[in-house]
Amino acid sequence: MVPPPSRTEILSLFRSFLRSARQFPDYNIREYTKRRTVDAFHGNKSLSNPSSVVAAFTDGKYQLQVAKRQALVYSFYCPKTKSIMDT
Amino acid sequence: MRLLLMVAGELINWHFQTQALTKHSQFFDTNYKPFSLYNIPSHSSCSLPLVVFYSFPVFNSSSQISFPLLFSQSSMASIAGSSTFMASLSCHKPNQALTRASNFNAVSLAINGKSFPSLKLHSAPSRLRVSCAAKPETVDKVCSIVRKQLALPEDSAVTGESKFSSLGADSLDTVEIVMGLEEEFGISVEEESAQTIATVQDAADLIEKLIEKK
Repeated sequence: MVPPPSRTEILSLFRSFLRSARQFPDYNIREYTKRRTVDAFHGNKSLSNPSSVVAAFTDGKYQLQVAKRQALVYSFYCPKTKSIMDT
Repeated sequence: MRLLLMVAGELINWHFQTQALTKHSQFFDTNYKPFSLYNIPSHSSCSLPLVVFYSFPVFNSSSQISFPLLFSQSSMASIAGSSTFMASLSCHKPNQALTRASNFNAVSLAINGKSFPSLKLHSAPSRLRVSCAAKPETVDKVCSIVRKQLALPEDSAVTGESKFSSLGADSLDTVEIVMGLEEEFGISVEEESAQTIATVQDAADLIEKLIEKK
């Protein structure tokens, strides 16, 4: 059986999500990524079953790869005008 | 025969230019800008008009895409408007590396100027003074960020000694607070140091140390 991820691993996954969210040039995607990771991690905070914790962790790692790829793709095709919400 | 080839080349050039325009025009309205991409006449192979395209200083990575057909010399002029000088040079088959280097400089300056204006104002005085503890304005900034993150009311007691856990923050909130501090002060906190932050004073001291190191 796969051991469940430790507290530090989960926190570093969270930090990596927020760091990759910062790299999006688009304001909307950036805010969505931040919001979504906060919601997901808070929602899964109270999971007690270790197998579901492992499942959630692997899903999170996969989504992190998706986010990193998308940040790269978005940075290639970013628009010339920034959103008005970007100070 | 040669005339046919010229016309065909003309058509292909026009086709690629309109493709480039439509691809990048989804965020534009043509009527807004006085000088825009859309005023370029399509048969501009030899005498290139100086198109000064002025926009917000935004990271424009169009020069990095390897589309040699699309970005011929007519499209080189559309690089962000801080380089009107470069536009005049672009008539004469520019050096690719030169435009990219200048674009990077303009871009990095633009990003620094746009994203961190507050950092420039506040970090200069902190380097001149010698202090062992964190400065009160740093502590105040940290307190305001903590308050905003934890949604505490304005008059709640957040001092240098208050621990994050006593303010009602769990570990996820602590990570978010540290990320907010990273963005605010333009520093980068490593994992291990971030684990050891427990109070507001710790955070402020770490921030001071990282700012001095820069």
